[in-house]
Amino acid sequence: MEGHSTLKAFGRVTAIVLIGILFLFPLYWMITMSFKPQSEWNPIGKTIWWPQNPTLDNYKQVLGLTNQNTQFFQASSTDATQPIIHSFIAAGGGTILALVAGVLAAYGIARFRAGGKMLPFQILQLRMFPPVAIIIPLLIMLAYIHLFDTFWGLWLVYGAVTFAFVVWLMRSFFQELPREIGEAAIVDGCSQWGAFFKAVLPNVKGGLAATALFVFILNWSDFVIALVLTTDKTTTAPVFLNSLQSAAAGQEYGPQAALGLILILPPAILGLAIQRYLVRGLTFGAIKR
Amino acid sequence: MEAQADIPARQVPPKRRLRGSTALGGRSEKGIAQLLITPGQLLLLFLVGFPAGVAIYISFTDYTATTNYPWYDAYKGWIWFDNYWEALSSGGFWSAIWRTVIVTVLAVGIEFALGLILAFLFLKEFRARGIVMIVFLLPMMVVPAVAGFIFYMIFQTDGPLNAALSFFLDTVLGLTGPINIGWLSDPGIAIYSVTMADIWQWTPLMFLIFLSGLVALPEDQLNQARILGAGFWHQLRYLILPMMKPIILIALIIRTIEVFKIFDSAWLLTRGGPGDATTTISVYLYRQINENYRYGYASAAAIIVLIIVSIFAIRAIRPIEAAQEETFDELITSEEFTGGLSVEEAIAVESRV
Repeated sequence: MEGHSTLKAFGRVTAIVLIGILFLFPLYWMITMSFKPQSEWNPIGKTIWWPQNPTLDNYKQVLGLTNQNTQFFQASSTDATQPIIHSFIAAGGGTILALVAGVLAAYGIARFRAGGKMLPFQILQLRMFPPVAIIIPLLIMLAYIHLFDTFWGLWLVYGAVTFAFVVWLMRSFFQELPREIGEAAIVDGCSQWGAFFKAVLPNVKGGLAATALFVFILNWSDFVIALVLTTDKTTTAPVFLNSLQSAAAGQEYGPQAALGLILILPPAILGLAIQRYLVRGLTFGAIKR
Repeated sequence: MEAQADIPARQVPPKRRLRGSTALGGRSEKGIAQLLITPGQLLLLFLVGFPAGVAIYISFTDYTATTNYPWYDAYKGWIWFDNYWEALSSGGFWSAIWRTVIVTVLAVGIEFALGLILAFLFLKEFRARGIVMIVFLLPMMVVPAVAGFIFYMIFQTDGPLNAALSFFLDTVLGLTGPINIGWLSDPGIAIYSVTMADIWQWTPLMFLIFLSGLVALPEDQLNQARILGAGFWHQLRYLILPMMKPIILIALIIRTIEVFKIFDSAWLLTRGGPGDATTTISVYLYRQINENYRYGYASAAAIIVLIIVSIFAIRAIRPIEAAQEETFDELITSEEFTGGLSVEEAIAVESRV
């Protein structure tokens, strides 16, 4: 019996390690790639598993710290500073917009059943549509009101697209809060708004912060919306990554990997910070732990 | 803000009646409710209302990006349902749908199995579990476009995946010659490579969901079953899976929705190619916009997709809503989800099989 369970434990550890290596390898490959000089990116006939001559050149290029003439790109640039800044502005603004509209709506739905029983469904249903399927009219519309390739255009679309997440997440947090908290404040002489801002909202601080970070991650991760709705004034970093990929001259593995790592840092850090709420976020608040 | 001031405290009815809209005077509550959802409604009007109108309008015309009149004059090229007929009778459209279905079924199925296995592996406490967990959380936080790029490197014919396979299968085991699989260039394989990238990224979500479900299972019932001699597979089949049914359902639905939309990683991996071997429905629509500039046709195709998705969506939303209404614990311990069977009865069923 004893030997049997030791064997089992050993099997378990082995399985975890093996699957763990498989899951870690893609990240390992990108991270090491970002430190490899060009000669080690993808040499013919051999595979460089570990950077032989580690360098920071890729990061310098992506962050615009060196002169931009690489072998493949004589004319075009691998400087991603502008796109990275654009990404922050676009994701940040979209998040704020989604939060303002979403938190109010979630409170209305959770406390007053605002909009009727079907409203939450309708909002969620929007999340099921492929973004590409609604992008043409958005493109036409934004061009018509001169918001194509502007931050306002991106903010509005991001805000509207992540609105559903805010509503469903915040609704689940509001529902967990005892009704008495808001009511007590009203009894104490607060208006409904006073009760909301002074009594209810402070009690869902944690949930609100988690929702904000979660929605920021979503907006930050967007690719297809920015791909269609921006050209150069507001190009976001994932779109820039894509343009490096599609350049006919060849592949810029190193700078791309460096940009990739820079791109996944904010969501990785924020994601670990709200680990407890990740599942809840990704399941629209349906699974609460 | 409005009529609150003139409601004296003593008029607040007892707690029991506070539910619904009667508590503080129906009128003002309705007003507040409306006010609360107005910004959201405006946002949705912007995202849905107006665009839906434009899309429907354009879909009846032969409007393209290069048409030399503005979109509101698109009626000049009015062609009724021609775009719809074209999409419905187009091989490209249906194969894109079919490919999307294949990717969705494969990805969701494998993510489910792998996620469940991982959840069982992590169920028992072990040293450094928390840190090891993070390894499995990371893929989820990778920007999907970046994930596409990572796998683009890995799947190169002279890339690390083939090198590793060659090493194990050829150098170590001597079973094969050097491996030169065209992960991205072979039309028959590329679609599975796209699927693999999604599996890598989203198995962790399934894993987390199932782990939270397993942890929440009532220990007593499982112990009781063990004492009564139920083996692992029987416990799994007659106790664990039935009790986890609601969250399994939610996990499957949410992943199905997301995989069906797959675009970012697919686009960076293969751009829909070789040929259209990895052109899923989102990629198909994007190529119509970006390569053919046929806004009218793409709108019609998009509307057909939206109708298909909506049919699924109506069914899919129920379990998510149900989980929101009840708390999770009530859900998994409620009679309904164990099929109304007690542990003894469940095992009795098992012994009959």
